[in-house]
Amino acid sequence: MLDELFNKIVDMEEEESINMAKAYLENGGDPQKLLEVCRNAMGVIGDKFEKGEYFLSELILGGEIFGGIMKFTLPLIKGDTKKLGKIVLGTVKDDIHNIGKDIFKAFVEAAGFEVVDIGVDTPAEKFVEAAKAHNPDIIGMSCLITAGLSPMKKTVEALKAAGITDAKIIIGGGRVDEEVKQFAGADAWADDAAKGVRLCKQLMGVEG
Amino acid sequence: MAKSPKELAEERLARFEAAANLEEPDRVPLWGVSGDIIPAYSGITQYEFNYDYEKAIKAIEKFIKDFPFDFSMAGLAGLEGRIFSIAFSEFPDLSVSLGMITGPMHDILQDKYYRYPGREIEENASPQFIGGTFMEADEYDKLIEDPIGFISDTILKRVCRNLATPRQSMAAMVRLGIEIKKGGDFVAEVGRISAQLGFPAIALGWGYAPLDIIGDFLRGIETVVLDLRRYPEKVKKATEALVEPVINYALTSKMIGAKYAFFPLHLNEYLSPKLYNEFYWPYLKKVILRLLDEGIKSFIFFEGQHEAHLQTILELPRGWGIAYFEKTDIIKAKKLLQGHTCVMGGLPMGLVTGGTPAEIQEYIKKLLDEVKPGGGFILAPGVSTAPAGTPLENISAIIEAVEKYG
Ligand code: B12
Repeated sequence: MLDELFNKIVDMEEEESINMAKAYLENGGDPQKLLEVCRNAMGVIGDKFEKGEYFLSELILGGEIFGGIMKFTLPLIKGDTKKLGKIVLGTVKDDIHNIGKDIFKAFVEAAGFEVVDIGVDTPAEKFVEAAKAHNPDIIGMSCLITAGLSPMKKTVEALKAAGITDAKIIIGGGRVDEEVKQFAGADAWADDAAKGVRLCKQLMGVEG
Repeated sequence: MAKSPKELAEERLARFEAAANLEEPDRVPLWGVSGDIIPAYSGITQYEFNYDYEKAIKAIEKFIKDFPFDFSMAGLAGLEGRIFSIAFSEFPDLSVSLGMITGPMHDILQDKYYRYPGREIEENASPQFIGGTFMEADEYDKLIEDPIGFISDTILKRVCRNLATPRQSMAAMVRLGIEIKKGGDFVAEVGRISAQLGFPAIALGWGYAPLDIIGDFLRGIETVVLDLRRYPEKVKKATEALVEPVINYALTSKMIGAKYAFFPLHLNEYLSPKLYNEFYWPYLKKVILRLLDEGIKSFIFFEGQHEAHLQTILELPRGWGIAYFEKTDIIKAKKLLQGHTCVMGGLPMGLVTGGTPAEIQEYIKKLLDEVKPGGGFILAPGVSTAPAGTPLENISAIIEAVEKYG
């Protein structure tokens, strides 16, 4: 059954996937196993996107299906679901684009990270506050407009100034590249969600 | 001998038209940068630029004088207001005036689509379209049945606080009319100054992809992408229903004597070829072909990455219009569309903001070596909005490079 579910998710069958996952749990299935299958399916969706077989439409729906199943699965997983790491994630100041950030969030959560989402148009102070409060391993910033580049740099500076030097900084979104990474002083960049997930794993020292 | 402004303007126009008609112009036409840099260059805030017509005109004049690109969007004020044009599409004389919503118009409408500097956002932030979800999934039938009625009577009331009751609405509409007149004077003055400085008046009309109306103004982009899977038949019917209102609105381009209809695409990058070919392209194509029947070329900004859909452009008749690309590989696009479609773009804004003049010149030289032969090419930044801190010497370097290598 789990194999079939895996295929349904990868094939974007939203309703059937969710119903099947529900049925699996109702029949006494193991929520931890279910979680793993969903994660693997998300991994494959990400791969297909990188290969050009899938598009943003599939990433968005994949995120919806995953989220839909997790809503009733996560509460059943007792205690420790061993996270790979914690990420504070937001779109930079002056930028209100949230879709790319949300897609990345869905995929990186599926990969086993805990994400603290601090929203869009996020001033540097809010990143600093969240970093202090949550002590993340990684801080992720999304940026889709050119006007967001200097706020991004300022955020990195503010984090350093506040003594947050352990957390790695990863940037993403349509406006970032190697040059921007250097300009902003970040540790890694990705303009697609699957690559971003791989990099986050690498930053945590897990193979990507 | 220096050329007169009139000669210069004619030369620039001829350059543009040659490229649009797939010929080789005297040199590669250059579409320039605009955006935040314009108020910044004159030391005024975004608030002043958006709310004080006189200051805005001076800032535009100073910018286009010092950075003489062949053409640009420098004189464009306001943000996407197509939904208002659609609502008024039965009244062409009004529909034409509502394609862009300026700061003062936003104040009058008190809408939730936009955020303006000095209002919802800081005085020096650039104006923002934020969109949202203003229609529920179970309302597709209403949209299908009577698109214009549903948009004007239901949606706009939800979007605009000042259109909520008939009385508020009356007052807002009268005020809007007064403001439109002021906006019109602004456009005319910018046109007059541009002509004096040797820039041609290229009247740009408009169009839109019917599905983008639903994504941008009614359901929200992410939501409509999910709708395509959840309620495919409804979305398709609604898109079909919007074709005629969009075409009627697009045809008002004729009223301003436009030979080109400029519009951006938004959902193109999101959709797999399968979804694109089923829900997006057939209806967009209808708009393009109808405009072409009237002698108007579409001038389309293919936002994001359009590579997966490039082949579909070849379904259009040769010379149908201009394809302006953002992130699509411009060399690949030019090769594929050579002799069929005029291609525009090629200059990454990251290079303009972060590179050096020498790097920019070198990049342009290399690029033009590839894309200049055979004509039908317009050089432009992939995204034309330059941030306030863009190094000025980099902007000049673009112009110099095109003079040298174009
Ligand atoms: C959809 C869209 C909108 C929607 C936003 C809806 C929303 N709620 O997000 C609306 C219509 C509201 C909008 C508004 C505006 N937009 Co807009 N928008 C777009 C558009 C068409 C798509 C952006 C998008 O969602 N892409 C899809 C996502 C999934 O891609 P992505 O963000 O790159 O994310 C991927 C990866 O980068 C990665 N990722 C993302 N974030 C992160 C973070 C981390 C840490 C990691 C590791 C990875 C990662 O994962 C994702 C999946 O692979 C683009 C054009 C384009 N096609 O790119 C313009 C674009 C981004 N917008 C633009 C502009 C200018 C605006 C406005 C300012 C327009 C205006 N004047 O009002 C306003 C925004 C106001 C503001 N201050 O932010 C410009 C930016 C130009 C520039 N260089 O500055 C663009 C490029 C359009 C253009 N060519 O002019 N926009």
